[in-house]
Amino acid sequence: MRLRYPILWLLLGLFVAASVIVSMPGAGYARQDRDATLAPASASHPAGTDALGRDRLVRVAAAFLLSLAGSVIASALTTVAAAGVGTLAAFGRASMGWSSMVVCDVFLALPWMFLLMMVRSALPLTASPARSATITFLVLAALGWPASARAVYHGALQLKSSDWMLYARAAGLDRAGIVRHVIPSLFHLLVPQFLITIPAFVMAEANLGALGLGVGEPLPSWGGMLFELNNSPMLMQTRWVYFPVALLVVVLLLLEGVAVEA
Amino acid sequence: MNDDALLRVHLSAGYSTRATLSRIHFELQQGEVLGLVGSSGAGKSTLVLSLLGLLPWRGGRVTGEVLLGGRNLLELSEKQLRSIRGREIALIPQSPMTALNASISLRRHFEEAWNAHEKRGRAALEERVRGLMAESQLPSDPEFLRRRPREISVGQAQRVLIALALLHRPALIIADEPTSALDPVTQSQIVTLLRSLNRTHGMTLLYISHDLISVIQLCDRVAVLHQGAIVENLPVGQLGEARHPASLALLNALPVSPETLLRFRDNAVADALPQTLDYLHR
Repeated sequence: MRLRYPILWLLLGLFVAASVIVSMPGAGYARQDRDATLAPASASHPAGTDALGRDRLVRVAAAFLLSLAGSVIASALTTVAAAGVGTLAAFGRASMGWSSMVVCDVFLALPWMFLLMMVRSALPLTASPARSATITFLVLAALGWPASARAVYHGALQLKSSDWMLYARAAGLDRAGIVRHVIPSLFHLLVPQFLITIPAFVMAEANLGALGLGVGEPLPSWGGMLFELNNSPMLMQTRWVYFPVALLVVVLLLLEGVAVEA
Repeated sequence: MNDDALLRVHLSAGYSTRATLSRIHFELQQGEVLGLVGSSGAGKSTLVLSLLGLLPWRGGRVTGEVLLGGRNLLELSEKQLRSIRGREIALIPQSPMTALNASISLRRHFEEAWNAHEKRGRAALEERVRGLMAESQLPSDPEFLRRRPREISVGQAQRVLIALALLHRPALIIADEPTSALDPVTQSQIVTLLRSLNRTHGMTLLYISHDLISVIQLCDRVAVLHQGAIVENLPVGQLGEARHPASLALLNALPVSPETLLRFRDNAVADALPQTLDYLHR
């Protein structure tokens, strides 16, 4: 609880810094400085450049913003889907409950790295970078809901059999009244799901990108920059190639901190 | 047996695997307080749910009849039952903290319970709640109603539940072990409150408890529930005539005789004090 505000402030600080860096005049995540490829830190490139001479700091900042926005939206979508499935399964007929949980189990058992690879390779290779980013996060949202739906289902089942629910019925509340009674408690159930899914999606996108299946170039992404680490000669040239990984770890820690402290 | 009984119960109930209540039979007259005593597992909570038509929600079934003013509640539709619950029969539940929804304010509890049966709007509710707060000896300031259940004491929560039960001036109140979660001082305050509500409003009360002392303090008649059947049903003054082993076990567990407890009932404390002093000085 005590760390909640420092963590939020740090995240907000990173967000503002990244926004400033990206919107500085002359900053472009795709702009190439052909005189300085794989350059170490300098005045014009504070974190050096990559193999194509693109400013690393600008790219990391843009990747941070893109991945955060994508993950937040995908997490919101997945949480809404999970809320729908979980509550319907809990408050509907018993058969609906177990059948939707079977579907969730099947989804959870799917080898989803392969599924992602299949989906991604089904896309035309010429998909525009923006489209590939949209698709990547939509696929994450489409595959991410079952775990949350399970958690919501079990939480909602507890609500359903709670004393206050029975008492609400004893007081003669109708269906609408009971729904109004339940919504604030469901909210307590959904917020942690939403928050914990964000870092999971940031991580998933980074993994996909590291396999070359995520957000398409020239759009920067965590995964795309981790891809650089495959290239060992480059690792010898400048330590700044580790900068994206280091920042990714920090961001993941902060995001998980938000989820835990909330 | 009186023909104009407010509540006449004749039922058996159970869950899928076992029968919990077998041929329960009792009646409640208008304005009467019936104490239903029994040890844990005797079927008290099942009976409460049966009377309110709520047993199906917990996976049980009921057969027989629950006649409230001539209508058999067990034959009504869920919709008809809903309009009776809270309006004609109200429940004071057992554990005050879990019976209130932790996510919403006390005011919301009153609003939801009010809207369940009342078309009249906010002003009427405000007025009713003001009266109820005074009646249940709760703080009357608006700040109190803005609180969440965890921000009040257990005793206050139980009073809130009593106020909620009184909201629609029901003909019958079922109190399901309303004092079991409370400390002794609060317990006796709640019993006193229920008794004064019965005396001043003629509120009919089915008081369910495992605590015979509070039953003797509060009730006109006592029924003993044992292993799903009513084995004794006596006016409180004739408890000495109880013969069933389960009743005797309960009576034997009392620190003093029921007659002594009865002497301290109502304003009996004030009346009995000189006698007691006499007795001590003798």
